[in-house]
Amino acid sequence: MRTIKLPDTIKLPTLLDPWDQQEPSGPDATGIYNFYRNLAEGDLTTTKCKDCGKMNFPPTMLCSNCLSNNLEWVKIPEEGELYAFSVMALGVPLIIDTYAPFVVAIARFGDYPENGVQISGIIFDSKYEELKIGDKVKWEVIEIQGPGEKKRYWYCFRKI
Amino acid sequence: MRNVALVAGGITKFGVREASWKDLVQEAGKAVFEDCPNLDRKDIDSLIVGASQPERWVYQTHVAPLVAELLGIDVRRVIARTEVACASGQAAIRYAWLSIATGLSDVALVLGVEKMNTKFMDVSQTCMVNVGNREFDGPNGFTAPPFFAMVAQRHMHEYGTTNEQLAMIRVKNAKYGALNPYAQFQKEVTVEKVLGSRMISPPLTLLDCSAMTDGAAAVILASEERAKELTDTPVWVLGGAQSVLHAHTVNQMGELSEWLGLREAAKEFYSLTKLEPEKIDIAEVHDCFTISEIIEYEELGFCKKGEGGKFIEEGQSYIGGKVAVNPSGGLLSNGHPLGATGIRQAWEVLMQFRGDVPKGRYVDGAKVAIAHNLSGMAQLHHIMGYSIEKPKELKFGR
Repeated sequence: MRTIKLPDTIKLPTLLDPWDQQEPSGPDATGIYNFYRNLAEGDLTTTKCKDCGKMNFPPTMLCSNCLSNNLEWVKIPEEGELYAFSVMALGVPLIIDTYAPFVVAIARFGDYPENGVQISGIIFDSKYEELKIGDKVKWEVIEIQGPGEKKRYWYCFRKI
Repeated sequence: MRNVALVAGGITKFGVREASWKDLVQEAGKAVFEDCPNLDRKDIDSLIVGASQPERWVYQTHVAPLVAELLGIDVRRVIARTEVACASGQAAIRYAWLSIATGLSDVALVLGVEKMNTKFMDVSQTCMVNVGNREFDGPNGFTAPPFFAMVAQRHMHEYGTTNEQLAMIRVKNAKYGALNPYAQFQKEVTVEKVLGSRMISPPLTLLDCSAMTDGAAAVILASEERAKELTDTPVWVLGGAQSVLHAHTVNQMGELSEWLGLREAAKEFYSLTKLEPEKIDIAEVHDCFTISEIIEYEELGFCKKGEGGKFIEEGQSYIGGKVAVNPSGGLLSNGHPLGATGIRQAWEVLMQFRGDVPKGRYVDGAKVAIAHNLSGMAQLHHIMGYSIEKPKELKFGR
């Protein structure tokens, strides 16, 4: 009987990796590459429409409020307020399950919703019991290493 | 516009099944055909399949033609698959209804299916982050449990809702689920048991959450003319309303305790059907988590905003109360195979109106029912209305 031998490991591309590939060019290029470049330089930024004034998050190529392409990159205010939080302990997505359990949170930065954002983030350095709604938090840039030599950037929250 | 009726329903046992995606399709298909002996399969001219993530959970796409093959159906009018995550099934019913009401189709099979339990549960769980904005809320671990936990936290913060009130939702739904032989969980529970079960994402414990479930459900819809030939006990479709106001990403969601999308969908639904909350006898609602059902009481108008906790505490959503909510046991008891859930809700309404449910969860004298299905982080809401009485006037919209 003819046999077909399969490799011991099957190469899995980026199917289960939740981060953007953060590439400026090539097939994985993203139009919001500046967002990742700014993160690499230490800033959490987003796009704000120069025509209607709406601050979007996530950043986009087009203002979803007025469909203008006339956007500018603005820094998200560094200090914000904890709006809601819980814990991710079970059923954690692969790759980030290495860090479980951790606190997941929603925080508001700036004057939301008129001129600010409400964004999700992980809080690595506080326990659920140590937090309360309204706590002051700040965003921090983190480096995502791997697979291999690949380096990407993301952010998390920290209680001030 | 033509009247449309549910004429048959079939369902598989829900749970962790030793069955493939295709096995589940055939099981529900056989059940629905057996429920409609007057039907020749050749009469089915349209097929809509509700399925959320077959591409990820069983690695199969192009599923509507596959279902047609598995059930031996030739489709000559409308065939499609609907995907709006947890509300995929009800969307399938809505499009089948529209197609028949407009005269394009006469008899449509609607089948919802999901196979979520596999050897690779870590992969299955990981796929749940794709329901949110994958590259922005995904890396922060935003699957449903922590998100709905935050919804609960905000509702408690704004309105004083308690852990005990959340638990009471599970107690009610477990009571009815215990009488549902198709449900994943068929055991009654107490408030103490819910509060003492394993913490998943505070304040939600294991028993505050619905499960990852394998299952399929199917219904057949037909025009008034065909319905008369197919059944003596049609259930009439009153129409429905959908909304997406909170868009997709956390930034668009505003206040988590206010489900403005559902408020709008309810307003639209009541306006189109000329119904009001007081006229609804049965409400199968999307209790993916206990907090969801509390907010749904409020936004569907069964009680004032902020008083959902009080509503369950007073027992108003039990059979015999103001409105019988989730007499099937809801998602909490049945489990939640995403694409099948909205169709299971319609199946429940059909069985209730026929009187084909066990005593103890039968809503005697019920005439009007709604099914509410939401998807993702409650971004999308969908309400369908059903009645034992044929509607006098049908409206698509304004």
